[in-house]
Amino acid sequence: MRYQNATAYRFLAPYLLIFSIFWLWPIIDSFLISFQATRTVPWRFAPGFNWGRLIGDPAFFNALKNTLLILVIQVPVMITLAIVMAVLLNSPLLKARGLFRFAFFAPVVVGEVAYSAVFRLMFNLDYGIINKLLNSVGLPSIDWFSNVTPAMAVIMIAVTWRWAGYNAIILLAGLQSIPQDVYEAATLDRVSKVKQFFYITLPLLKPIIVFCAVLSIIGTMQLFTEPFLITERGGPGGGTETLGLLLYRQGFRSLNFGYASAIAYTMAGLAIAISLVQLWLTREPK
Amino acid sequence: MSSRSSSSRSSARLGRSIALHLFLTPLALIWLFPLWMMVIFSTMPDRGIFSPSIELLPHGNFLDNVTNLQRGTNFIGAIGISVSVAVTYTFLSVLLTSMAGWALARYQFFGKGIVAAIILGTITLPYAVVLIPQFIMVARDFKLANTWVALIVPPLFNSLGVLFMRQAFSMMPHELFDAARVEGVKEWRIFLFVALPLARPMLAALAIILFLASWNNYLWPLLINSKPGAMTAPVALGTLIGLTKVSWGGIMAGAVLLTAPMLVVFVLLQRHFIAGIAAGAIK
Amino acid sequence: MAGVSLNNVVKRFGDFEIIHGASLDITDGEFVVFVGPSGCGKSTLLRMIAGLEDISGGEIAIGGKVMNDVEPADRGIAMVFQSYALYPHMSVEQNLSFGLRMNGNPKADTDRRVKRASEILRITELMARRPRQLSGGQRQRVAIGRAIVREPQVFLFDEPLSNLDAELRVQMRVEISRLHKELGTTMIYVTHDQIEAMTLADRIVVLRGGHVEQIGRPLDLYSDPDNQFVAGFVGSPKMNFITARVLERGASGVTVELAGGTRLTQPLKGPAPEPGSKVVVGVRPEHFGHAGKGDADLSVTIDVVEHLGGTSFLYASTAAGDDIVIQRDAAEVSDAPEITVSVRKSYLFDDKGRRLR
Repeated sequence: MRYQNATAYRFLAPYLLIFSIFWLWPIIDSFLISFQATRTVPWRFAPGFNWGRLIGDPAFFNALKNTLLILVIQVPVMITLAIVMAVLLNSPLLKARGLFRFAFFAPVVVGEVAYSAVFRLMFNLDYGIINKLLNSVGLPSIDWFSNVTPAMAVIMIAVTWRWAGYNAIILLAGLQSIPQDVYEAATLDRVSKVKQFFYITLPLLKPIIVFCAVLSIIGTMQLFTEPFLITERGGPGGGTETLGLLLYRQGFRSLNFGYASAIAYTMAGLAIAISLVQLWLTREPK
Repeated sequence: MSSRSSSSRSSARLGRSIALHLFLTPLALIWLFPLWMMVIFSTMPDRGIFSPSIELLPHGNFLDNVTNLQRGTNFIGAIGISVSVAVTYTFLSVLLTSMAGWALARYQFFGKGIVAAIILGTITLPYAVVLIPQFIMVARDFKLANTWVALIVPPLFNSLGVLFMRQAFSMMPHELFDAARVEGVKEWRIFLFVALPLARPMLAALAIILFLASWNNYLWPLLINSKPGAMTAPVALGTLIGLTKVSWGGIMAGAVLLTAPMLVVFVLLQRHFIAGIAAGAIK
Repeated sequence: MAGVSLNNVVKRFGDFEIIHGASLDITDGEFVVFVGPSGCGKSTLLRMIAGLEDISGGEIAIGGKVMNDVEPADRGIAMVFQSYALYPHMSVEQNLSFGLRMNGNPKADTDRRVKRASEILRITELMARRPRQLSGGQRQRVAIGRAIVREPQVFLFDEPLSNLDAELRVQMRVEISRLHKELGTTMIYVTHDQIEAMTLADRIVVLRGGHVEQIGRPLDLYSDPDNQFVAGFVGSPKMNFITARVLERGASGVTVELAGGTRLTQPLKGPAPEPGSKVVVGVRPEHFGHAGKGDADLSVTIDVVEHLGGTSFLYASTAAGDDIVIQRDAAEVSDAPEITVSVRKSYLFDDKGRRLR
């Protein structure tokens, strides 16, 4: 190959320009802003101002706790569900495959606002279809949005509904890339289907499962629209406020950009840590 | 002997098949339920939605709901903005990222390793990190709030397409491009007339994913284009959700208007759709 | 029309040198084949001539003009690729004319050239088809046609027949030979197949590990190889190598002892190795005679006999354990385990593989 600097950069330049202005520079800028006091104009450099506030702010720890709680419960449930969906959709015994695929994959195209509205309506206390169905089988209504635990549950259910199929698509592609003869060999060796799943499918799928988990964690960590719209700005009483919502509130309601940037960088730190865990989990055995 | 063993095999298969469908069918119904309810709600008058009876079949109130929605907020106008923005964004993003992906796949150049490393290294950073500076820059420095440019240009930083197209181009036989080069075809013509036509399925997949992302984008348009006449459809719909005196049938009609076109696209172009999402896992 | 000359050409990837100074003069109209095992650098050398790879050192000139910094398209070359590199989304006709169209060549001239190429290669009925609707041989023709359309001064072929089955390969080989006669243009052809090299080339360049081992006409390489590698590479089945030991050096040459005590005296002009040192005697399968009719008889154990009809191959081993292959006319095959080596048709190599003459 010959070096072709001029040609290469002519193709790269338009994208790199946008990438630098709207991604690279803001990453740096955000870091700088997090060290400035931005409540008053002009902004001034005050390293401890935002970060000092952060480590003593109960609202921050509440949002962090909520975010981590959602992560720890919702992501494993969703990934497990996605694996089940993918494996079953991949079964040669399945009839009407197209219909099942549509059912599980369709939520992928539904926008956050649209499905937030539907879930909010479905879980309405007096007239929501969920409570009506509970009543019809003799169970009492649940006041979903006035208590923290059920409100969190609604958010987790909504997010799982929206994203399980998405992960199932990725996992299904991974499953289909496993050569069939591996299973045929195992069948000849009298290995049961269940054992084949645990000793062949799961290990071969591991890098993709880890990838999905990381993608989901980073996505869920930024959760904003669901608590914003479904539980009405993180209600009840901040019980479902996430880091994403806190950032929005601080940055765009209180216009406290410095503090919001510090919150953003906390999320970035978490994301980097999780990416490192991913690298470690999927490292090639030496 | 052999017929007996084969019949026991096929009955075991039948058993497994029944178990599979018994498990998967209810799960599929649960999964379809919210979408179904969205459609039902959108066809019901508000007093129907807020009544004690269980309604699982569509009514005939859809157009009235749309009218209510249109009265509350200029939703049709907002959809117009959403369509234009998504189309323009998709076109520009596909163009820019496939050019960049081509450069990374095809050429040897100074700084190639650094460019690739920066793109790959920052791809998992949360979008929230750049939200504040992006907003300050676009709204305060460039004074572009409530404009189309603000909706279209900043999200073009998305590097998914670069990696996706780099992968697509580097999987093509490089002799093809060498052959064109030996024939004296200029590089941009090789890109335009050889590489891009060959990448058509990948371009379709990428375009669908980007279009969907733009169509459904909520947070950035919410922040930057909050003036009523400049809102995208999801933002316009979102403003209604928090209000107390609002037509929920209208909101649901809006949700259907946002979702149905994407579902149609999904059904028609399922293969490209799935390819686009699955390719996210290819590193 | 132009010749090609390489002057001490070097290729490095980073610190890793893969072509160690190749020099070669190809005269106008000559058919030169680069041959060697995979990884010997033959394709890299060809791509350097084409301009697809940078030249790390030395010079490449085409038609007397140094081409090191000239774009591939301006070197007056056309190239046929191993994978054919046909544009899958274009018809045969569009494939042939693509380069000319893209460079604004007048349409009438383009049409004329495409028509001529399609006639030369007899693909006129295929012009509307897409590459995937063509057989391997037809694709190959289109790929060559695309080169002809350029009316180049030099044709470059990069293993063009390696994706074809055996029968088609023979057919296309003849076709390329015919093409060379018809066009009279300089052609450089890369292959790992020594039969292709022997049948096509005016001259062969044998490469190994980035070094030029020998350059010569096919029959010269066959009858007078410079070293053990070339001797083993050219000719099919391969030359046999029998280990031996130097006994003495006399006025008439050097006497070596083969396994089982057989002695052979080879005339030698140059210096001979010390008595006692190891040497290798090379004998082609077709050059073993019947016992008693040559210069040194050798007794062997026959393991397997393959009858191909006209000829037969005897797979045998010597007393010292060297595996050898003997070619015989079918009628002459006997169980006699005695064969003979004649001095005129054997070669002597020292322990580093250098030819002793």
